[in-house]
Amino acid sequence: MSTMFADTLLIVFISVCTALLAEGITWVLVYRTDKYKRLKAEVEKQSKKLEKKKETITESAGRQQKKKIERQEEKLKNNNRDLSMVRFVSLLKITVLCSFLFRFDGRVVAKLPFTPLSYIQGLSHRNLLGDDTTDCSFIFLYILCTMSIRQNIQKILGLAPSRAATKQAGGFLGPPPPSGKFS
Amino acid sequence: MSGGRRKEEPSQPQLANGALKVSVWSKVLRSDAAWEDKDEFLDVIYWFRQIIAVVLGVIWGVLPLRGFLGIAGFCLINAGVLYVYFSNYLQIDEEEYGGTWELTKEGFMTSFALFMVSVTENATAGCHLDHLLHCHPL
Repeated sequence: MSTMFADTLLIVFISVCTALLAEGITWVLVYRTDKYKRLKAEVEKQSKKLEKKKETITESAGRQQKKKIERQEEKLKNNNRDLSMVRFVSLLKITVLCSFLFRFDGRVVAKLPFTPLSYIQGLSHRNLLGDDTTDCSFIFLYILCTMSIRQNIQKILGLAPSRAATKQAGGFLGPPPPSGKFS
Repeated sequence: MSGGRRKEEPSQPQLANGALKVSVWSKVLRSDAAWEDKDEFLDVIYWFRQIIAVVLGVIWGVLPLRGFLGIAGFCLINAGVLYVYFSNYLQIDEEEYGGTWELTKEGFMTSFALFMVSVTENATAGCHLDHLLHCHPL
């Protein structure tokens, strides 16, 4: 039981470290490049422009105007995708690396305070023995930690995309979507 | 007290994309504060949600409050407290921010994930303590 609690703390610590590492690597490879800065500025500018246009467009606006807005939206979505894939890939690589470095397979790392829904149990009870569905596996806790901690770290470091850009990319209930390919 | 904007204030500088300067927090508890920068206000809502998530996670883990009742309780309290804050205390015009739903979902999923981490940590700590007391009674 004491091992379980230590594992829980360790996984949170690993999540913080991997989030910082992922952002650090992405900063070195991507964020500080001129191309990324230009692209990000372009996306922000387009998002704000599009938002303003959408607010002022009326019901009687011509078909051409609406098509123009749709084209701008599409261009913006593509730019957003271009901005974010590297982030996601670098985080994924680090996650895979961690799963090899820190072997938690088959270990119960935490006790959940509830029984997860059946389709989530495939993740929360992954590779665990026994029928106690409140046993938590490494990957479930790690995903939860990454979702919360990484997002907050990005915000603190000022690396999160702007709300206008997130809105145009179609985020759902808060977190920005994963990034697109950028080289 | 009228809703929306009140006296003019020099706009407070904020760090890029979400981090907040200390001066912003001095406005947070003032019901007459003016919020010229929408992003600044939304960031305050965001960080308030994270704080509520951690606090409720600790409380729920200590009580302990388990099951989906605990999760539902978190959702209601998280949404309710912030709603009372921006609607009744600050009397913000929600339409300026895209409506109540936009304000409610600001940072909600991240705070939910943070709540889950917090409550799981505390629930595990609780189990650990129970185990210690059981094995090593005082």
